[in-house]
Amino acid sequence: MRGGVFTALCSGAVTSAQIVLADQSLVHPEIAEIMAIEADADYGAYLASECTACHSPNPQGAIPQIHMLPESYIVGALVDYRIGERQHQVMETIAKRLGEEEIAALAKYFSEVE
Amino acid sequence: MKLNRRTVLSGLAAGSAVLAAPMVMAQGAPRVVVVGGGAGGATAARYIAKDSGGAVNVTLIEPTRQYYTCFFSNLYLGGVRDMDGLGHGYGTLAADYGINVVHDWAVGVDRDAKTVALASGATVPYDRLILSPGIDFKDGAVPGWDVSAQSAMPHAYKGGSQTELLKAQILAMPEGGRFAMVAPPNPYRCPPGPYERVSMVAHTLKEINPTAKILIVDPKANFSKQALFEEGWQKHYGGMIERIGPDFGGENVSVNPSEMTLDIDGVVEQVDVCNVIPAQKAGEIAHAAGITEGDWAPVNAADMSSKMDEAIHVLGDAAAQGDMPKSGFSANSQAKVCANAVLGALTDSRVFPAKFSNTCWSLIAPEDGVKVGASYEATEEKIASTGGFISETGEDEATRAQTYQESVGWYAAITSDMFG
Repeated sequence: MRGGVFTALCSGAVTSAQIVLADQSLVHPEIAEIMAIEADADYGAYLASECTACHSPNPQGAIPQIHMLPESYIVGALVDYRIGERQHQVMETIAKRLGEEEIAALAKYFSEVE
Repeated sequence: MKLNRRTVLSGLAAGSAVLAAPMVMAQGAPRVVVVGGGAGGATAARYIAKDSGGAVNVTLIEPTRQYYTCFFSNLYLGGVRDMDGLGHGYGTLAADYGINVVHDWAVGVDRDAKTVALASGATVPYDRLILSPGIDFKDGAVPGWDVSAQSAMPHAYKGGSQTELLKAQILAMPEGGRFAMVAPPNPYRCPPGPYERVSMVAHTLKEINPTAKILIVDPKANFSKQALFEEGWQKHYGGMIERIGPDFGGENVSVNPSEMTLDIDGVVEQVDVCNVIPAQKAGEIAHAAGITEGDWAPVNAADMSSKMDEAIHVLGDAAAQGDMPKSGFSANSQAKVCANAVLGALTDSRVFPAKFSNTCWSLIAPEDGVKVGASYEATEEKIASTGGFISETGEDEATRAQTYQESVGWYAAITSDMFG
C-alpha cells in the first residue's frame, strides 16, 4: 500500500498532503506518529543545514528542490528512505540516522522556508 | 532619494537577506574572526552572521577577491566546466550578511592577546577564532620540487591559476606525448581527486591527442574508488593510463623540472607535462598559531575546537578530526556544527548535537559519475563514521549519468551555501 501512496505522490496528480489527509487508511503508522509530533523549529533549522549542502532553493542538475514542499510529503519521503521503500544511497544513509522528532522538525522547517 | 530614518528601516525590512548590516551591529558584540574563505570558512562566517542576526561581529580574512573552488576544477581540465563557473566572490557575504570581509593574509596569531596579525600590519581582535586555511605542501616531499618549480611542474591542487596553467600545458603536449602525475601519500585533500584528474586529462587527450600516454607514480598501494576508476579507465581510455605503485618504486620518486624528467626508483623517464601533487600539511597559519601536532591541527569532534586552545576552532583540510575525508563537503559540514557551537558559547543560543556528512562525487568520463559518502557523529575521541556507501562497478549508463547530474546540483547548492 505504501508503494501505491508513493506512486500517486510522485505522479504529481494530487499533493501528498491531500492524499495523506484524505484517506488515513493509506497512511503508514510511522508517518501518522511523526505528523502528530510538535516540531522543534530551532532544531529543524539546525538539521536543515545538513540538507542545504545539496538541496538548493534554486536547484540545478538532478537534486530536487525540497523547500516549500508539504510537510506530509517530506515526512513520507524520509520514512520511505529510512525503511528502504525508496532507494537512494545518499538519502538512505541520511534518513536512517534520523529520529522521529528530527524528521518532524525537518519537515516543518522545509515546508515553511522559501 | 533622500534617506531618512523611515526609508532606511523600510529598506532593511524589504531585503529578505539583509540580516546584519554593519550599521546595526550591536556595540560590544562578541567578535568572531574566520581565517580562510573556502568551504569551511565562508560557510562558518555566513552561518554565524545569518543565525546571530547581528548579535555577533564576524570578520572573514581571505586574500583572494575571487575564490576558485578546487572541487570541480578537474572538470575544467576535462573541458566539462569553464573556469568562470568555478569562481565566486565575497560581495554577498559583505553586503547581505554584514560580514567584514578583509582581503589580506593572516600571518600570525597571538593566543594570549587573542589577536590575528595580518600581512598589511594590522591586527584583528577575536573572542573566537576559526581557522580554515586548507592545505600547504610539505617541503622536500618530492625531491627536486618546490614552489619555485610549480610553473614547470604545476601542483594544480589549489584552485585557480595553477589549474589554468596545467590545462594549457596539456593542450600544448606534442602528438603522442606523455603526461605524468606524482600522486600524494595519505592523508591529503580530496582522496579521489588525483584519479578523477587522470580521468579528465585522459578525456581531453582522447579528444585532441589520442596517442598520448598518462603515467601515474603513486606512493600508495591502494586509492579511493580504485575499482571504479580502473574499470572506467579500461572502458573509456584503454591502454592510455599506466600506474606505478609502491611495489615498483612509486614511493621513491624525484623530479628535475628543468629537464622535465622523473627518476622513479633509479629509472629516468622523460615527460612533456608533470603534475606534482606533493605531501600535504595544514595551512601555515595553523602552524603559526601553535595548535598543530605533526602536520595537522587536532580538534574536539563535538565543536571542532582545537585540542590546544578552546578559543580556536579548526575546519576542513587542516583539522585532524577522525574519520572524515579532507573534502569541501566535509569542511562545509563541519562549519555548521562549529557555527552552532560558537553561537551557543557567545550568545547563549541553543546548541544541538553534532552531525556530519560527506559525499564525494567523481567524474570518470562525461556523464559517467560515481560517488562515495558517509554520515558521522562526534565521539569523545574523534568524528566517527556511522555508515556509508559507494557506487558499484558495472552500473548502467543511466545510473552514472544521474550520479553526475547529482554532482551538478550539489555544486550549485554548496557554493550557494558558502557564498550566499
